[in-house]
Amino acid sequence: MAEVKKYEEPRIGVFVCHCGTNIAGSIDIKAVMEYASTLPNVVIADDYQYMCSTPGQNKIGEAIEEQKLTGVVVAACSPRLHEPTFRAATKEGGLNPFRFEMANIREQNSWVHMHQPEEATDKAKDAVRIAVAKASLLEDLIPKSVPVERAAMVVGGGVGGMQAALDLASAGIKTYLVEKEPSIGGKMSQLDKTFPTLDCSQCILTPKMVDVYRHENIELLTYTEVEAVEGYIGNFDVTLRKKARGVMTPDEATERGIIGGGCNGCGDCEDVCPVIRPNPFELGMSPMKAIYIYHAQVSPLIYTIDFDSCVKCGLCVDVCGDKKAIELDAQDTFETVKVGTIVLATGYDIFPVEEKHEWGYKNYDNVITSLEFERLICASGPTGGHLIRPSDGATPKKVGFVLCAGSRDNTGVGKPYCSRFCCMYSLKHAHQIIEKIPGAVPYIFYMDIRSFGKMYEEFYYRIQDEGAKFIRGRVANIQEDPVTKNLHINTEDTLLGRPIDVEVDMVVLAAAVQPAAETEATRRLFGVSCSQDGWLLEAHPKLNPCGTTTAGVYLAGVCQGPKDIPDTVAQAEGAASAASIPIHRGEVELEPYFAVCIEDICAGCGMCINLCPYQALALVEKDGRTVMQVTEAKCKGCGTCGGFCPGGAIRMQHFTTPQIVAQIDAFLLGGEQ
Amino acid sequence: MAVKKDYKDQTLAERLRDRKYYVPDSNPEFVKEVEKIGQTPAHMCFQCGTCTGSCPSAPRSTYRIRLFMRKINLGLEEEILTDPDLWLCTTCYSCTDRCPRDLAPTDAIMAMRNLAARRDIVPRNFLKTAQAIYASGHGVPNNDANRAARVKLGLDAEPDTTHKYPEYLEGIRKIMDHYGLKERADKILAEEG
Amino acid sequence: MRQYAFFLGCIAPNRYPGIEASAIKTSEKVGIELLPLKGASCCPAPGAFGSIDLNIWYAMAARNVVLAEQMDMDITLICNGCYKSIYEVNEKLKHNDELRDGVNEVLKEIDMEFKGTVDVWHLAELYYDPEIVGLKKLADSVTRPLTGAKIAVHYGCHLMKPGKERHFGDTENPMWIEELVAALGAEPVQYRNKMLCCGAGGGVRGYDLAHSLDITNEKMINLQEVGADALTEVCPFCQLQYDRGQIEIEEKFGITWGLPVLHYNELLGLAQGMSPDELALDLHAVDVEPFLKKIL
Repeated sequence: MAEVKKYEEPRIGVFVCHCGTNIAGSIDIKAVMEYASTLPNVVIADDYQYMCSTPGQNKIGEAIEEQKLTGVVVAACSPRLHEPTFRAATKEGGLNPFRFEMANIREQNSWVHMHQPEEATDKAKDAVRIAVAKASLLEDLIPKSVPVERAAMVVGGGVGGMQAALDLASAGIKTYLVEKEPSIGGKMSQLDKTFPTLDCSQCILTPKMVDVYRHENIELLTYTEVEAVEGYIGNFDVTLRKKARGVMTPDEATERGIIGGGCNGCGDCEDVCPVIRPNPFELGMSPMKAIYIYHAQVSPLIYTIDFDSCVKCGLCVDVCGDKKAIELDAQDTFETVKVGTIVLATGYDIFPVEEKHEWGYKNYDNVITSLEFERLICASGPTGGHLIRPSDGATPKKVGFVLCAGSRDNTGVGKPYCSRFCCMYSLKHAHQIIEKIPGAVPYIFYMDIRSFGKMYEEFYYRIQDEGAKFIRGRVANIQEDPVTKNLHINTEDTLLGRPIDVEVDMVVLAAAVQPAAETEATRRLFGVSCSQDGWLLEAHPKLNPCGTTTAGVYLAGVCQGPKDIPDTVAQAEGAASAASIPIHRGEVELEPYFAVCIEDICAGCGMCINLCPYQALALVEKDGRTVMQVTEAKCKGCGTCGGFCPGGAIRMQHFTTPQIVAQIDAFLLGGEQ
Repeated sequence: MAVKKDYKDQTLAERLRDRKYYVPDSNPEFVKEVEKIGQTPAHMCFQCGTCTGSCPSAPRSTYRIRLFMRKINLGLEEEILTDPDLWLCTTCYSCTDRCPRDLAPTDAIMAMRNLAARRDIVPRNFLKTAQAIYASGHGVPNNDANRAARVKLGLDAEPDTTHKYPEYLEGIRKIMDHYGLKERADKILAEEG
Repeated sequence: MRQYAFFLGCIAPNRYPGIEASAIKTSEKVGIELLPLKGASCCPAPGAFGSIDLNIWYAMAARNVVLAEQMDMDITLICNGCYKSIYEVNEKLKHNDELRDGVNEVLKEIDMEFKGTVDVWHLAELYYDPEIVGLKKLADSVTRPLTGAKIAVHYGCHLMKPGKERHFGDTENPMWIEELVAALGAEPVQYRNKMLCCGAGGGVRGYDLAHSLDITNEKMINLQEVGADALTEVCPFCQLQYDRGQIEIEEKFGITWGLPVLHYNELLGLAQGMSPDELALDLHAVDVEPFLKKIL
């Protein structure tokens, strides 16, 4: 472990970065440098085109050695981007890494004051002066390491969550896979075929579902939701609500001493259940009993009772007989598990496209959504794979596909973003009707066909060659013929420059996707952020797309933003890899920004204890006195206690009162002492 | 700039006129003027066609609201302001209601009509309505047959508007004169004969 | 009795006075008193005036609003064109300081000031609002239900759109005026492209009559498909286009429709027992008699 060094006089080095022209384009670097060299304690001021590059970092190391620096200031971009870089350079040069201070003169300066070079330069001087004032008072800090629990959790059992769980588990990590529905599989299990390869979704997904179920390192927790999360990277305590399923697994039955009992998926109970309700997996297009499985390929193959509709007649209990799998008085149970890292793969919902009244969804019988189309065209769907018109059961010949149904929409009713996979699945739908229905003609109404992935443009070419008709125009409205229930699609063929009215038998709306309804709750539970569009926010859009701003929590799949299956699986593997790193290292370093009790002056009043939002503080007896004690691993360094302590007995590391006062003085006094 | 063709044969010169779009031939400020008057960010149009597809005038004419939006953004001021189709919008606001970019193409049309009017390009009927209001306060004024009918219904022959209270006309005329509207209407209509 | 300043506009008082007369009488029976807005003018016509110079449109409409402000009374009106001018300008001026200051500078010349103290309502929405009148009270006022009549509704563009600047909900397939029609005992009928414009707006009726009538004719085709006995609307300008327009269609295109067109207040008058004479239905260009036979 590094030792804490003390220095007599502060000796500060200031390094100003050009960032190419990002900073130098509007800030006079030379002026800032010259100004820096006049500041108290500054012994060297230097600049470089890219301070983050190897030569730039070397400058820091050389200066520390030659000038015997006690503190380093780099005026460059945001600490979020390069603080770790320059801390490493500072450490490399032989100083404690926490003797580094950053002045942000890019994001908060040159980028926003592009056309005011003089003011920007003045502001940069202020920022440097403030940073130097703090750097002069910085101290050596030693980060703490904490052990990492050798287990991970994946929340969400769609294809992304399943892949992340399989990767983590296969890397030797105990993995809890939590799914709120009774079965894993997610949206992908509702799809028929997948673009551009046209392989059957179930054929590639069900083996994976079986793998998940059988994997020795995966504990599959279906019909389970996350209730509470406590702790921090390496040591999360996650409380789970196991919703009352009303049906015991064979293992659960064995635990209760019912040897050979538990649900074997025989389905006898379903046959006798008198309650009929719509099957949500089939989007309400086929019936389901109160005791149910969504479809034959569910994993685990265990029945579930919907207690909202169950009338508790007991017929299922009777028919289940000696297996004694059914308990009609089942209650939710709770369990807390400890994990080191967490992957969120909570997926998405479909935008309620009926809110766009002009397209008549839920008003006109023969206007359906793409997901409904998937079920109708799927051999295991409610019609056995025969696409039919809901109004009369007839086979449609002319089918209109409406792209961007709620996507790329800034009206407030709809989503401003591109939903990213609708173009491709609509091309696939066009192919499917041409393949299945002789003489069928798909009309695809589009603004742009976004076929950006590998073999996607080739797929577009193929579908056009197969006979799909492409009309470049966003659909203005759809009108139903009240007699035939045919639909008139009105728009402009913008390439022809004429309004057109295409009469079709059926319309399929490629409805936008939106963040899952539970996203806000998820966000709060795991302390992660959302981006403007409501999706969970990654730590960095390019350089850390799987991480979040909460250490130890990672993202996979559409919960982070619309993406197709290949991208979801790729991100899931990335997230699994990222989530496995702390576990494999076995310990994580915590930033040493925690509160420290100055025991000599602590009066033991305990007022700080309840103020702490992280339950990190406690009163303890020490040498016959009552003093406050900080659990460093729990403390987030928020400063609530330090700001409040009536005796000034709490010191916030790296943000000490003298350091902050020096910064404020440096700003307000304009450099005068 | 468009290539000038100084062909001796004027008919040929016109037939073979350079039809390319050249940036210097356009007015980049035009979109800003339209946006200021119309209070809608017309430069955000992405040419999806929802507007023309919603338009009651499009199927029975060459009027294309989408093309007007395009021309605004290309600064084709001359072409727009002299286009007789500019006056075929019924202001039904269907395009505005459905525009996915949340623009108001109808208000852009109104703005362009205002800009045309500044050049004295206004159809007669618009000016005649203005004249009628200046004269009586009403775009559609009362007449004798209607007065008789009103009386039969137990209403006063003149409604409680400027018709019954002509003393209010002065205020209306002052407002219109503030903008010189009556004078302009008279002048344009007189010139057209 | 709730009191409102009654903004008349042009076409109702000067072409279809039965609408004005029935609005006053029918409203009284459901608890609304309409008081004269003395010295009001044309709204002014949003198409004709707005097209020439929106600033004049704002100022002229503001003058009408100020007359009601001086009475300290909300405005109600019976025409969608008026609704666009009076409602929209009132809202714009209330919420846009720059615009309001500009208008007030002009109004100062005639010793007026727009203060933004009143609201503007279409009479039909007051009928629909359960806190003002509501369907039940409306139905209770009916003494001669319009039983057996199939009535199609034309909403009119400037009442409903742009939807964001209104408060009537769905603009693609609204049903609230059908509810008002059903309250009179008639059967509202649905037809293709219900929200299609009448064709008159934006100055198009005056600019290119044939073009505007071709839109009207499309509506007539769609109405005939469902066998409507009458078309109702809440806008005298739409009424003019559909009523006189049918005569013009006959003259220009040689097609005869003969579909009676009645303002909702005329229907309400009939349902409350007013006679055709009390409504001056003889002023309608298209003979209303076939419809009257159905209900009387």
